[in-house]
Amino acid sequence: MKKTLLTLLITAASAAAQLPSVSAPPNKPAAGAAAAPSYKDLKFPPLRPIQIPKVATFTLPNGMKLYLLEDHELPMIHGVAQVRTGNLFDPADKIGLATMTGMVIRTGGTRTKTGEQLDEQLENIAASVESNIGESAGSVSFSALRENTDEVLGVFKDVLTAPEFRPDKITLARTQLRGGIARRNDDARGVAEREFADIVYGKDSPYGWQVEYATANRITRADLQDFYKRYFFPANIALGVWGDFDTAGMKGKIEKLFSDFAVEQPPVPEFPKVGGSPAPGAYLAVKKDVTQTFFSIGQLGGQFNDKDYPALVIMADILGGGFRSRLVGRVRTKMGNAYDIGADWDANYDHPGLFEISGGTKSLSTVETFKAIQEEVDRIRTSEVTEEELKIAKDTALNSLVFAYDTRAKTLRRMLTYAYYGSPPDFIQQYQKALEAVTRADVLRVAKEHLNPAAFTTVAVGNPDDFGHPLDTLGAPVNMIDLTIPQEKLEAAQGDATSLEKGKQLLARAQQATGGAGPLAAVKDYIQSFEFQIESSAGGMLVKETDRWIAPTYFRQDTDLPSGKIAAFCDGRAGWIATPQGWGPLAGAQLKQVQSDLFRLYFRLLLSDRIEGRTVNALDDNTIEIADTTGQTARLEFDAGTRLPQRVLYEVARAGGPPIPAEEVWSDFQEIAGVKVPHRITVMQGGRKYAEMKVTDFKVNSGIQLEVIQKRP
Amino acid sequence: MRALRLCAILLTAAICLPSQDLKEFEKKVTQFTLANGLHFIVAERHEAPVVSFHTYVNAGSVDDPSGETGIAHMFEHMAFKGTETIGTVNWPSEKKALDAIEEAYDRLEAERNKGPKADESRIGVLQAQLKMAIDGAEAYVVPNDYLGIIETNGGAGVNAGTSLDSTEYYYSLPSNRTELWFLMESQRFLRPVFREFYKERDVVLEEHRMRVESNPQGKLTQDLLATAFAAHPYRNPPGGWPSDIVSLRRAEAKAFFDKYYVPANITMAIVGDVNPADAKRMAERYFNPLPARPLPPRLHTEEPPQPGPKTAVVDSPTQPIVAIAYKRPDQYGKEDPVFDVISLILSSGRTGLLYKDLVQDKKIALVAQASATYPDGRYPNLFVFFLVPSVGHTVDENLKALDNLLGQFKARKMDAETLARVKTKARAGVIRRLDNNAGLAQMLATYHASYGDWRKLFTSIDDLNQVTADDVQRVARQYFVLPSRTVAYLAQPGVAGAPGGRQ
Repeated sequence: MKKTLLTLLITAASAAAQLPSVSAPPNKPAAGAAAAPSYKDLKFPPLRPIQIPKVATFTLPNGMKLYLLEDHELPMIHGVAQVRTGNLFDPADKIGLATMTGMVIRTGGTRTKTGEQLDEQLENIAASVESNIGESAGSVSFSALRENTDEVLGVFKDVLTAPEFRPDKITLARTQLRGGIARRNDDARGVAEREFADIVYGKDSPYGWQVEYATANRITRADLQDFYKRYFFPANIALGVWGDFDTAGMKGKIEKLFSDFAVEQPPVPEFPKVGGSPAPGAYLAVKKDVTQTFFSIGQLGGQFNDKDYPALVIMADILGGGFRSRLVGRVRTKMGNAYDIGADWDANYDHPGLFEISGGTKSLSTVETFKAIQEEVDRIRTSEVTEEELKIAKDTALNSLVFAYDTRAKTLRRMLTYAYYGSPPDFIQQYQKALEAVTRADVLRVAKEHLNPAAFTTVAVGNPDDFGHPLDTLGAPVNMIDLTIPQEKLEAAQGDATSLEKGKQLLARAQQATGGAGPLAAVKDYIQSFEFQIESSAGGMLVKETDRWIAPTYFRQDTDLPSGKIAAFCDGRAGWIATPQGWGPLAGAQLKQVQSDLFRLYFRLLLSDRIEGRTVNALDDNTIEIADTTGQTARLEFDAGTRLPQRVLYEVARAGGPPIPAEEVWSDFQEIAGVKVPHRITVMQGGRKYAEMKVTDFKVNSGIQLEVIQKRP
Repeated sequence: MRALRLCAILLTAAICLPSQDLKEFEKKVTQFTLANGLHFIVAERHEAPVVSFHTYVNAGSVDDPSGETGIAHMFEHMAFKGTETIGTVNWPSEKKALDAIEEAYDRLEAERNKGPKADESRIGVLQAQLKMAIDGAEAYVVPNDYLGIIETNGGAGVNAGTSLDSTEYYYSLPSNRTELWFLMESQRFLRPVFREFYKERDVVLEEHRMRVESNPQGKLTQDLLATAFAAHPYRNPPGGWPSDIVSLRRAEAKAFFDKYYVPANITMAIVGDVNPADAKRMAERYFNPLPARPLPPRLHTEEPPQPGPKTAVVDSPTQPIVAIAYKRPDQYGKEDPVFDVISLILSSGRTGLLYKDLVQDKKIALVAQASATYPDGRYPNLFVFFLVPSVGHTVDENLKALDNLLGQFKARKMDAETLARVKTKARAGVIRRLDNNAGLAQMLATYHASYGDWRKLFTSIDDLNQVTADDVQRVARQYFVLPSRTVAYLAQPGVAGAPGGRQ
């Protein structure tokens, strides 16, 4: 629990523009005190030139690039294979594919070893192999003590060249992705940054869209395998290795190790260009559980290779880079309105980055702070910065350049990055020269040419009840951002012959575990009574209910509510519902709910392979998806040990809204007529617990008559 | 699209290199203590012309006086506000203006102290006068001059932190500017002036809003500590309580500084392209003027035994997170390495038992981690588990799964392979941290300040290697017990379904 003074990344600094007159007079020591040494009197020796170590570069016979750099300080070895891929290549209906592939390459194990076996093998020697796919690059990396070089290289090679994508780890990756979706609005700062970037790049573009339950759910093992195959081939990989080894020996070792990795693919296409539909303007996302307004204000930035890039960096630094910048001086130090405030001209190698002014201020000072920001943006566009501000910003940038090459790991990674994006290897030297040449006139010119406040996007995340002045007093109409997370829709996954066959096997296994297909099919009717404890958040009452069912699809439900009795009947296609207020035909959402219940009726669901029109598709080793031609879908998960069904996922139709996801967790299995039937059912709706059901009585094959159950009360 | 950010709570376990590594490393290290008691550790790494500095003050928010919580943190902010010669256009005039602020503030407080008899209209007038005095002093300030000088000279990673046990200041410079650090660091402790105190107090309040009030994890950990500790100041947030912060006075910061920032209570580490003889010469020149003063008194409040299990429910419309804490002794006890081994077994890598069970197999958690020492280690503290439930899974399910896992953990002896694995990982963990100047400077200063010898960084690995399966089982059985447990979790307002429920 550190309290840190700065969250601002100090990339550069700037000057005291508020009070240009105060900087000059020399300080006199306080009377009576010994003269204080002044930093102005310090004479620094010239900086020892940075020795950029030479990286040995090779191309292996299979086309893979190899970069080696010895570093003998510690008995360690590290490496990273950089792969030209990225989530920019995600298909629009399967956003999350690259991310999931990046996770499961490592966790899903290799042809010869499961992920868990790799975990143990690597951690026993304190080594690591990890994989990841980000926006516009993928990687598989390793690290180990020198004594374990050969062992870690072997695992690294297998992970990179022969990942197996075992289904249980696909499920795990999906769980992690879904967790990220559910939690993406919990941190207000993160919401502001995300919404800002997505709006500026355009939410319809790969740069601005985001993973949703629906897109994550659609991704299959075949998708991961195809994605991997398309991008992970020798000519598309650059491998950098640094650490305690000898270059000639390491080159031989790696060449030999990868000699059988010879797959070919057509060259990878260019990444999509930035070109979505941005919608600049003022935006507000309401979060009532915060006392600060978190904001991001700005527009598209640029690329490293823009000729104006160095002047733009200086401009942004003077505006809001370091502690002597205009925004920090005014909003934080003078107004006391923010802890975190800053501006950054963020560039990328291959597509425009973002120019972003961001920070947080107490709700009440939101409008005042935004006004101050607007004024500072106008000021830097309309008048020249001072000579002192310019000098401070340039000194800061130039003096800290040494940190770009202060370790061998950074040197090698920088070299890999330059090669990856086709930047000149002497990029930093060119940048240094260009920084030195920036003038006050340049700063004003680039601010005028590149900053367009009329087309800024302003995103505020906070509680408008406490703003004092509404946001639109700033002049622009305010668009509301809806943070509702689209709930997932179950869609039947596309099955192939293998997964359909496997689905049947899994179902047969479950039939066996519950008592066998014979006893299941022998159940022709049942009477089930249960108590239904609805959670306090959903009404908090105890409901008694009795269900009666006659095969195949006659169903009667009698419910005892505090407000009176409700009865309903359905023959599979139509039915009625009777309440204390009268009766009517089953229709709309109610009919759909009953039909869904019939579809998921325990004995029928488990015999889905015998019901006309139903498909049973395996999603992984313990999950099947059952669908029929009317659009009903349910996902059934089995316990890996007992093989009993333990969880079913489906959708509940609602009147006047999209269906919401629901699930039931089954437990307390008791045997009825040779079949294990759950007697406790936990119901979740929309990701939250809805009710707990306890079966109080269960009879089968008692010979109930259709005339009895279809009779209205 | 950006990569998805999962809500990971990153916690690091204290891990530490055995004696053969120590001998090799020792050659690079020089240390000396000035006559006034200030201690320096210098480690040479000449790979690149850069150097990192770390100042560790043996005083943190546990030392905040009652009613003045947040003062240690407030001083940390003041340490960047300059000196009698840095950050002012005219110190004698500025000093008068600063004194005028205090006089105006005294008059305001005198009126407020009348309580119900205070004259509201007079308070209004006095507030206006105070504001005028504060604005008046602004005219003499060169804003953010102190930090600006460091930045302009290429300073990287300039920062500071106040935790419960300590306050730390650190940054890196191009190595030709090493003398600048000596000058700036000595001046801020020789001639602090506490300028812009009341504006900075507003900034600190904004920091509290950002870190705690607007952050679900911040709310959770604040309430976890306030619930788990009844008496010991580990119960207070390291930044202080807002009602205390808003009342802090400049004289209180000065008093805190005078009492705790004595040379013998401070350790400084320098790592990188530095010549130890030059460093010593500069240390003497710049830091000898700090007068020797007596060490501050030790904290005497002890946490009484916990009378029974506690639960804290934190309303939050966000997704749930749960923290489960068990009381444990301080970092000086002989069981300290055992707790480290337990946390490594439970929560390091993908072989950690928590990850395997809750995340990988049951998939009821996105994150399941343990921290052996929380919130800090100098006093008896907490062994904490943080669990982040996955979609559709509850706090309750996660708690039950953890209980089961801990039950099994206590019931059987840890196998030799697992024990060997975590010891190997601990050793490698220390080696991995030796190639980073800033990280190394932080560790050298911290280990010296906490244990009296930086070598503990390496020798603590030997302690860890002595831990047996019996120790692990004994300590788990003794400390993971219900009466000393505190559970805190985030829950949607008005939603039941978690332990302890809510009516």
